[in-house]
Amino acid sequence: MIEVKQVTKTYGKKKNIFTALDDVNFSVPSNTSVAIVGKSGSGKSTLMHIMSGLDRPQHGEIIIGDRDILKLKARQTDSFRAKQMGFVFQSFFVEANESCYENVSLSLEMSRTPQMERRKRIEAALADVDLTDKIKSKAGDLSGGQKQRLAIARAIVNQPKLLFADEPTGNLDTATSQVVEDLLFKYQTDNKATLIIVTHDEELAARCDMQIIISDGKISEIHEAAKKESK
Amino acid sequence: MKTIDIVKRAGRNLGRAKSRTFLTAVAISVGGFAIVASLAAGTGAKHYVDQVISANMDEQSLVIYADSKFTDTSNAATNFAPGLREYDPDSFESQGVDMKALTQDNIDQLRQRDDLASVEPFYQLQPQYVTFGVDKGQKYSSDVYAYDGSKVSPTLVGNMPELHGMLGDDDAVIPQAYLKTLGIEESDAQKAIGSEVTVRVQQTPQSVDKDEIQAAFMKGGEKAVQKLTEGKTIDKTFQIVAVMGNSVNELDQQQGVFISSNAAKELSDFSTEGTDLHGKYMMAFAVVKDGLDPAEVKDSLKNDKFYASTAEDLQQLLFTFVNVLLGIVIGFGALALVVSVFGIINTQYISVLERTQQIGLMKALGASKRDIARLFRYEAAWVGFLGGALGAGAAWIAGTIANPWITDKLNLGDGNSLLMFELLPSIGVIVLLVIVAVVSGWLPSRKAARLDPIEALRTE
Ligand SMILES: Nc1ncnc2c1ncn2[C@@H]1O[C@H](COP(=O)(O)OP(=O)(O)OP(=O)(O)O)[C@@H](O)[C@H]1O
Ligand SMILES: [Mg+2]
Repeated sequence: MIEVKQVTKTYGKKKNIFTALDDVNFSVPSNTSVAIVGKSGSGKSTLMHIMSGLDRPQHGEIIIGDRDILKLKARQTDSFRAKQMGFVFQSFFVEANESCYENVSLSLEMSRTPQMERRKRIEAALADVDLTDKIKSKAGDLSGGQKQRLAIARAIVNQPKLLFADEPTGNLDTATSQVVEDLLFKYQTDNKATLIIVTHDEELAARCDMQIIISDGKISEIHEAAKKESK
Repeated sequence: MKTIDIVKRAGRNLGRAKSRTFLTAVAISVGGFAIVASLAAGTGAKHYVDQVISANMDEQSLVIYADSKFTDTSNAATNFAPGLREYDPDSFESQGVDMKALTQDNIDQLRQRDDLASVEPFYQLQPQYVTFGVDKGQKYSSDVYAYDGSKVSPTLVGNMPELHGMLGDDDAVIPQAYLKTLGIEESDAQKAIGSEVTVRVQQTPQSVDKDEIQAAFMKGGEKAVQKLTEGKTIDKTFQIVAVMGNSVNELDQQQGVFISSNAAKELSDFSTEGTDLHGKYMMAFAVVKDGLDPAEVKDSLKNDKFYASTAEDLQQLLFTFVNVLLGIVIGFGALALVVSVFGIINTQYISVLERTQQIGLMKALGASKRDIARLFRYEAAWVGFLGGALGAGAAWIAGTIANPWITDKLNLGDGNSLLMFELLPSIGVIVLLVIVAVVSGWLPSRKAARLDPIEALRTE
């Protein structure tokens, strides 16, 4: 369960102040997929960054499990992110010069996974995204869809309870998008994880259990599918 | 992140920017090269000085002065200040410095001491000319010295005295270098043995008064006056018993005819007779009895107002000299290092800017500020290590190649090398360069650590 309480994020000072998020409140039960939707510049990415502890709001609390991650020390937030969260970005952010193996390994290095376990887990993650045969290939040589699958492997190799994806299909064609979406949802259901997707693709949003619609930094609507009991 | 993972990642990142890494390393290696080479030159020079001193000087030997000017370097400035000085009949004037002389009484006093095995004054002999039996009539300028028995000199042919021995009073030794002028082939050096050498010494002209001149003029005319004022001369003939070989290790090998100290005294006394310098010596050579520490004897001499310098003093003096030269070279090396520091800072900054996205991603994946800072510091350390290894390796190779040539050019003698490389100082220099690199990488690594991940991930 993630609770977002009275989160306010502003940029600039005094006269030029700009409120990117204005008193945002909602909660997401665990084992749920959530879509954050809204117009460009409405504050979706900002919200996601704050929920993951990458960014700090001026005001508010982010309670994950039973602790406010904004009150943790920087080192604790970092290690929490390394072990419990995964990220997928619109522009992949894979290390073009490293092999797929090394790209996935980065997550394991961050979570201080023992050397012995690494190979097994990297192979498993790459198998999940169907990139087993590319294990030694340079990430730069992959196609866009393959890069995003590699990014997913890197995001899930630590088996995080929370998976964030910011426009994961924004740079992909429809068919490839489908594959990527399927992988994300499969991970979420298989691991009973929470998947938070920022998107303006309505079809993708509709596949999620919950939709949070945001406009001008405020939550305008929240849809919850009836199939799950919210807690 | 675990340290091992950061080290590996740092290595991989550098490997990806091969030419940049290499060029930065080369920049630092220049300083490393200079420092390693100068350290090697220092070791070599000290080794050489050591060798020269042990070849030239008996450890037990002392040079004794009646004046502290040459042993006391603390007020050298006032001691050696130029200017007009009061005349002192007991002083020598040497290179613009007045120096209190040792008297015959002093020498006797020194000889009575039971901590000195032998005391020989330094006889100043300025012969008018010398002639050689093998080369009749030709007059040559040559120095003449009392033979120094405190060291063994190399022998080309003939019989030289043993250590601490002395030449017979009619014996002489000539250096190898004289053979050529005398028309003797080195292979034929035996020819010189047994031949004669004659030393002509002129007495310092006596002061004569008007009456004496007048009397001489009445008696023998102008010629008699000339004879009266020109001073007496003495010819002393010696037999050559040995030819001294060249020693490459000689510090400044005295080139001249060597005769016994008795003969030297006789000639010296003759030449200074009637002058203030008669029976006075600039210095004396003494040998400390075996088992006694020359430094202690030196202190005890000081209480009696004799000032001595030991073989070790001379060694220290030469070491100081070597150290000053080294300091200068190392200074230039350090300067090169300082310059390379800016090179490292620059490349590291560029590297941070180029990799903002990577840094942002790592932070998003949970890398702490410290992890990022360490990654960049380790990369700097790698570059420093590479530069150090490159510089030290290049110095080592260049030194090994250049050594025979330097030895030849500087006439150091076979088996002597000016550049002596030692493992420990080289490792020390590598460690130094690693530290320098890490320190220079400090600002860029801090910039990387402070990078806002959101800003960084926005770069597309
Ligand atoms: N560092 C910043 N300084 C000032 N304003 C900022 C800064 N970062 C974001 N903003 C503003 O905050 C608002 C929300 O930005 P955000 O990136 O969250 O939008 P978004 O909903 O993700 O848009 P998009 O769909 O285009 O990605 C925007 O108006 C943006 O201009
Ligand atoms: Mg966005």
